[in-house]
Amino acid sequence: MSIDPRDLRPEAGDALVRRERDDADDEERHLAAPAAAGPLDPHPGTAAADIRRRRQYALPKLAVPNAPLLEVTDLKAHFRLESGWVRAVDGVSFRLNDGEALGLAGESGCGKTTTALSLVRLLPANGRIKGGKVELFGIDLVPKSEHALRRYRWREISIVFQGAMNALNPVRRVRDQIAEPIEVRLGQSQRSARAKADELLELVGIPKRRGMAYPHELSGGMRQRAMIAMALACDPAVVIGDEPTTALDVMVQAQILQLLEQLRRDLGLSLILITHDLSVIAETCDRVLVMYAGRVAEEGPVGRVFTAPRHPYTQKLLSSFPNIRADRRTLDVIPGQPPDLRDPPPGCRFAPRCPFAMDVCREVVPPEVLFTDGVRVACHLYPTADAPMAGQAFAGELPGSVPRVTVGNAG
Amino acid sequence: MKELLRLENVEVHFPIRGGVADTFLRRPIGVVRAVDGIDLTINEGEILALVGESGSGKTTTGRVIVKLTRQTGGRVVFDGQDVSDRWGVRRLRDYRRRVQLIFQDPYETLNPKQTIHDFVIEPLEVNGIGKTGQEREERVVRALESAGLRPASQFAFRFPHELSGGQRQRVVIAGALVMDPQLIVADEPVSMLDVSIRTELLRLMLDLRQARGLTYLFITHDLSLAWVLADRIAVMYLGKIMEIGPAEQVIRDPHNPYTKALVSVSPTPTPPSAGERMKRTILVGETPDAAHVPPGCRFHPRCPLAFDRCRVDAPPLFDVGGGQRSACWLNEGGRSLPVMPVTTGVVAAETPADASDEVAGLPPPGAVEPAAARSLDARR
Repeated sequence: MSIDPRDLRPEAGDALVRRERDDADDEERHLAAPAAAGPLDPHPGTAAADIRRRRQYALPKLAVPNAPLLEVTDLKAHFRLESGWVRAVDGVSFRLNDGEALGLAGESGCGKTTTALSLVRLLPANGRIKGGKVELFGIDLVPKSEHALRRYRWREISIVFQGAMNALNPVRRVRDQIAEPIEVRLGQSQRSARAKADELLELVGIPKRRGMAYPHELSGGMRQRAMIAMALACDPAVVIGDEPTTALDVMVQAQILQLLEQLRRDLGLSLILITHDLSVIAETCDRVLVMYAGRVAEEGPVGRVFTAPRHPYTQKLLSSFPNIRADRRTLDVIPGQPPDLRDPPPGCRFAPRCPFAMDVCREVVPPEVLFTDGVRVACHLYPTADAPMAGQAFAGELPGSVPRVTVGNAG
Repeated sequence: MKELLRLENVEVHFPIRGGVADTFLRRPIGVVRAVDGIDLTINEGEILALVGESGSGKTTTGRVIVKLTRQTGGRVVFDGQDVSDRWGVRRLRDYRRRVQLIFQDPYETLNPKQTIHDFVIEPLEVNGIGKTGQEREERVVRALESAGLRPASQFAFRFPHELSGGQRQRVVIAGALVMDPQLIVADEPVSMLDVSIRTELLRLMLDLRQARGLTYLFITHDLSLAWVLADRIAVMYLGKIMEIGPAEQVIRDPHNPYTKALVSVSPTPTPPSAGERMKRTILVGETPDAAHVPPGCRFHPRCPLAFDRCRVDAPPLFDVGGGQRSACWLNEGGRSLPVMPVTTGVVAAETPADASDEVAGLPPPGAVEPAAARSLDARR
């Protein structure tokens, strides 16, 4: 595959045309006025209005009234390699409402982290957003210039990274690191920023005096708490957690999840949680989005997707997960490997591994079908929107399904 | 069932040395009690899972068994022979042939400049196994194929970077199998891998046990993996075994408060009901470090059920029936635990004074409220 020279040109957002408007938005960088009830408020009385009223700082000036919190439409993020473009994220759409927690699930290489990084345009140097929209309060962030994006990065969308040890600066005190975004992004004085940082530390359950510690002096769980405090520093509208508990022990993980739960309740946090660990999503999220090879396989309320998965991949993934409260040793194996995203299969990307694959699956990309209970599935097994199974509990195994494989001999 | 390996009161204490003077005088200023007197038996053909959080001493125990770490006390008996004092390459040659180790990270275990074939054949050459080159090659092929890398010729001359994570871990397993061991100590063998690949490897481990009569010590932090794979589970906390018994019983009917809390917070891929959430016991704080082991029962500062005796006496493992044993004073005479209080009943202040600097968990809800309330006020 040869590289089209047009792909190498700067992103559309750098065009001067947009500068003026962007600057207008950036002016309020030093503004820390309380959000006034005004035309920007969504319908009063709704949960969204309630949560937006809690904001410490005003909404961006360009915010569209009644726009959803975050709407991602047909997002495409590709990586350039010598051997061609890797289509890591290839047409992903989802919406995050105020106060909601959305889980992004999938195996390594399915594009979940790329999706998250695309939201704030923090892709590595060889990554490029090739299409789609990321609308925060109705403002599309994709064409924004780097300069204008500063208004949104960390102030509106912040990230809790996976390896807290690597994400924290080893030679700076934890409190000062938390205070930094408040100083830089919100233009507050060092003193008030530090006072705010102390408050944040207490909010995440770290005693104030521990803020004077350096990262290496804290335990893994505490570092992760500090990362969460840092993500909350500018009172963002969306917090993205990229595998926030993966490196932690079960008990510490339970503590961190409990903390997130509490923060959600107290602050009305809107959360995107990226993890390969389905059980963490089952635990914390309202909705789950299962990705496979850069596309959405299934999306819907956690209660629906986890109890009655419709996409064969979701079914397989769930049944390959050890469950301490279920039968032993009935673990499924998903044969084969995810496709090479430089040259993905033309139809459904799961077709080569799918036990139900039909001819049409290998040729035509399955459309996304929305069920009446809010579950969205991209699979040819569900041909139309008014699918017969909509709204009713689905037995989990499709007609003609292969029996579950049993690992070893039970008992 | 025949006993294959027995640990008797094994201790591993690492000295902490202070400044230069202390180093010269070989005078330790403290001791890290990584493993603090454990008894363990592994029967032939069995899978014993050693479960614990980081710092519980599970990996050190594994290293003692494969004789990479010298125990400071206790005995290691393998197949009826005391191997506690057997050290040195020559004296361990036979032992190492029979006990093999699989590490966690297949990316780091393999030498990036070595082909798969060279990696697998190396132990044979080092140990002088197989009289002819031909014989060794045959063993390599057999090991690769039984680790699921079929046909072996397709993989043998590849380099690690050409393989996927799952395939690499299979190569590591082949490297262990080529010695034809009896016992494999697997230290978190699947925790670096994706769910779907993980299952394949677990199944491979079970198949190998069936085919070759292998015995495993499976070291993991993940209780649900232990549940899926193991015949018996031993739960470690801060260098001690807290509970040991058949997997079914330990998970379904845990007798030790620590195990009970672990089981209650182990996440499952089914959304928990409100009732389930209520039954959860989230412990406060973190495992104290092994240089400052609390007196009495080492779990008492975090235990929601601790009473006076726990702060003074360390409980032995009490038999609670059906081959299950638990180290808790409440289990004396085989009794079960009372209902565990949920999180809110646990007070953080109980963490010992010297450890409270390192150990600070979520403050009790009462302590959190003011901070939360303050910042909410600021928002209005």
